[in-house]
Amino acid sequence: MSKITEVAELVEKGKAKLVGPAVQAALDEGCDPMDILNQGMIDTMGIVGEKFKNGEIFVPEMLVAARAMKKGVEVLKPHLASGSTGANGKVIIATVSGDLHDIGKNLVAMMIESAGFEVIDLGVDVSTDKVIEAYKENPDTKIICLSALLTTTMPAMKDTVTALNEADFRSNIKVMVGGAPITQEFADEIGADGYSEDAASAASLAKRLAAA
Amino acid sequence: MVRVSFVRERKSICVPEGTTVLEAEILAGLRPDAPCGGAGRCRKCLVRVAPMSSGGTDSDSALVSNGNMNSEGSMDFDGNTGSGDVDGEDFLIHDFRAATPPVRACQTKVSSDICVDTLTSQEQDLSILTEGYLRPVTFHPGLSVHKIQLDKPQPGDKRSDWERMLEQLAKAETQSKAQPETWPEIQPKAQSDRTERIQPEIQPEIQPEIQPEIRLGIRSGIRSWIQPDPALASTLYDRRGESGTWYAIHAEDEILELRRVPGRICFAAFDVGTTTVVGYLLDAGDGSVLAVESRLNPQAQYGADVIMRANYALEHGTAILAECIRMAVNEMLEALARKAQVSTTDIFQVSVVGNTCMHHLFLGISPASLVHAPYTPAISQRLTLRAAEYGLCVHPKAQLLMLPVIAGYVGADTCACLMAVRPDLNDEITLLLDIGTNGEMVLGNRKRRVACSTAAGPAFEGAKITCGMRGAVGAVDHVFYKDGVWSYSTIGSEPAIGLCGSGLIDLVACLLRAGRIDENGRLESGQEDPQTFVLVSPEDSGNGKGVYLTRKDVGEVQLAKAAIAAGIQLLMKELQVTEDDIAEVCIAGAFGSYMDPLSAGDIGMFPRSLTDRVRSIGNAAGEGAKLALISREELEMADELACGTDFIELAALPDFQDCFIEQLEFENA
Repeated sequence: MSKITEVAELVEKGKAKLVGPAVQAALDEGCDPMDILNQGMIDTMGIVGEKFKNGEIFVPEMLVAARAMKKGVEVLKPHLASGSTGANGKVIIATVSGDLHDIGKNLVAMMIESAGFEVIDLGVDVSTDKVIEAYKENPDTKIICLSALLTTTMPAMKDTVTALNEADFRSNIKVMVGGAPITQEFADEIGADGYSEDAASAASLAKRLAAA
Repeated sequence: MVRVSFVRERKSICVPEGTTVLEAEILAGLRPDAPCGGAGRCRKCLVRVAPMSSGGTDSDSALVSNGNMNSEGSMDFDGNTGSGDVDGEDFLIHDFRAATPPVRACQTKVSSDICVDTLTSQEQDLSILTEGYLRPVTFHPGLSVHKIQLDKPQPGDKRSDWERMLEQLAKAETQSKAQPETWPEIQPKAQSDRTERIQPEIQPEIQPEIQPEIRLGIRSGIRSWIQPDPALASTLYDRRGESGTWYAIHAEDEILELRRVPGRICFAAFDVGTTTVVGYLLDAGDGSVLAVESRLNPQAQYGADVIMRANYALEHGTAILAECIRMAVNEMLEALARKAQVSTTDIFQVSVVGNTCMHHLFLGISPASLVHAPYTPAISQRLTLRAAEYGLCVHPKAQLLMLPVIAGYVGADTCACLMAVRPDLNDEITLLLDIGTNGEMVLGNRKRRVACSTAAGPAFEGAKITCGMRGAVGAVDHVFYKDGVWSYSTIGSEPAIGLCGSGLIDLVACLLRAGRIDENGRLESGQEDPQTFVLVSPEDSGNGKGVYLTRKDVGEVQLAKAAIAAGIQLLMKELQVTEDDIAEVCIAGAFGSYMDPLSAGDIGMFPRSLTDRVRSIGNAAGEGAKLALISREELEMADELACGTDFIELAALPDFQDCFIEQLEFENA
């Protein structure tokens, strides 16, 4: 079995502790870091996302797989040409003001990262000002993603999206929203460009929006 | 207006067209179960609906051919105006055939007169835990009764009637020797060898502050701490004279009533849970329990968990939810009084504990601050209020004691559990776990205690699990697997209709032992559908559907147990202790009492090595509520327990996510 296939299997099974050494072993054997990234991890997360969408696996497995990939990327990063992990562009992601939940948001961040984006994660309880500030620091950002897990923080999401819609840079970016209580109707109502139901769909949506 | 008739309950109600069946149920006072708050997701509010008619057959066929049934949109039964005057037996003529598919009450709008079969009779079947296990404490309630003589004043005595009464009271109190009685000791079910740890620390002789003279603050013969009460003072003239013997029922700082005969004097303690409410009626003379009542929290009709309740309160006002729970408490007070053959006006103190959201909603305080980061309570200190001002039908001057809350998601119920367990009395480390929809936990000892709350989710209460249900008759409560043979038991030994929390973790633990679930939670049932494990076949079940577990259910269990396990890990890290340092794990709540600690350890809800140190402490929150009434020292201790327990916000800890994901795995697979 090739070392890259081994990395892929460990990522899919979510073996975070074993992925790092496996990536190192693949590097030692002379595998191309880009191949390890693309075939060993990004493709694998694509499969994981697909299986999730088909109902073959569930949130816990996706969480462990995403974390395993993250551990692998940590080992791989010094060997990659800068920028090669984020070839699809920059994405800013945040949980909206008043909301401290981040497991769902982090999963989306990991899936988007594994789809070849550079993710700037602003964390939780992020005010509108902070989002705009982050954009100004990264004017090449393509997508801003906002998450809300509580029905009670949906109004905060609306406020942030409204502020973004009024910003002069709005035409340069796409806005994606998600979270347990969020629906397509709500996304349309507040004027977001996209909504996705789960982390796997979020990654493909990000690719679509970035290409548009 | 259209009429909705509920055939099981024999109630009908007129509602505006477009009202959902769920709203109609709520308006009719049926208290339906709506865990998802009417969002249409949980399918727990299923009902069967038929058009109202007196003839039957015509409309029934119209119903079947209607086709709107499955779309669950607007129900429109052409040509059915209905009589509107349906009562009694007429309800029974409707044939809710099994062929009529059940619909979600919350998604079904009423547009003509209809009959509804709510398909439920759950309330009386629920098995709600009311027992707890007390530490022995000195009986020393904050409410006392003293016999006083109201004599005519001597000429020249310039003291007022009120002052003379207070002096009498002070004298009576000094005379009545503080006879310390011991609260009847109730031994824990599984008695551990650590009995000495739960012995009372508080003895009257080492508590000089409870000597009556000092405590009562008698200054120059006047008991000055008693609040003057003009209304009571105005009755004193009529009360004095030869037959001037009265019994003063008083709290530390006020007189609640003067009685001719002492009569029965009672306390009531309530544990208001998100799902269930338990009430106890106590004899104020000796602290014995006279009656116990329990029921579902009727706020469940506005959502299963605190977030949905809070959200409902923010959208529709806090008053509806406050009114709802107070009404339930009043009904329980009446039932308690009836059982004990006392009057509700004999109840002079009521203590209420609950999680912070229940606490706020009971008091009518907006939960807005609880659901917006950083999740602070609006008020946290211990409160002594007038029960009547909060709508409780007890003695008009009765006191309402609200125990302090610790943090936004660690409430007065956790404080009450701490009062029942008192980890602050020991050098060894105690882990207190209260597992409900939220899992609250406290780790610590005499030196330091740390609390946190994890979103365990309602999986252990039956929500989100395909065949999940609460602990009611017919729920599989235990599952056994030995030498390749599966067996199970149900509550009430009735045919199985679903899985309650303890049955759920048993089943997952057994599947792990049988090697049918791997460390990632993948289920290989070895049955026809490898992704589903059928425990009870449809033929053997009580509902014709069987009881089974799906791969997705296993995922829900993983998320719930990982949240609890991660919380424990991070508390241990905060205190810099290991699982070997934990002397005892006290598990409070119904789920904790019924669950098998071995199964909980095997699925990794807590470190497996702790399995033999688990003690089930029953409804510890209810016990704390009782302690607050029977011992003023314990009540005052509540403040110290609440203030002296640190809170850590898991969501703010960078380690939480890593720790949580790590705990998702089944280590013992």
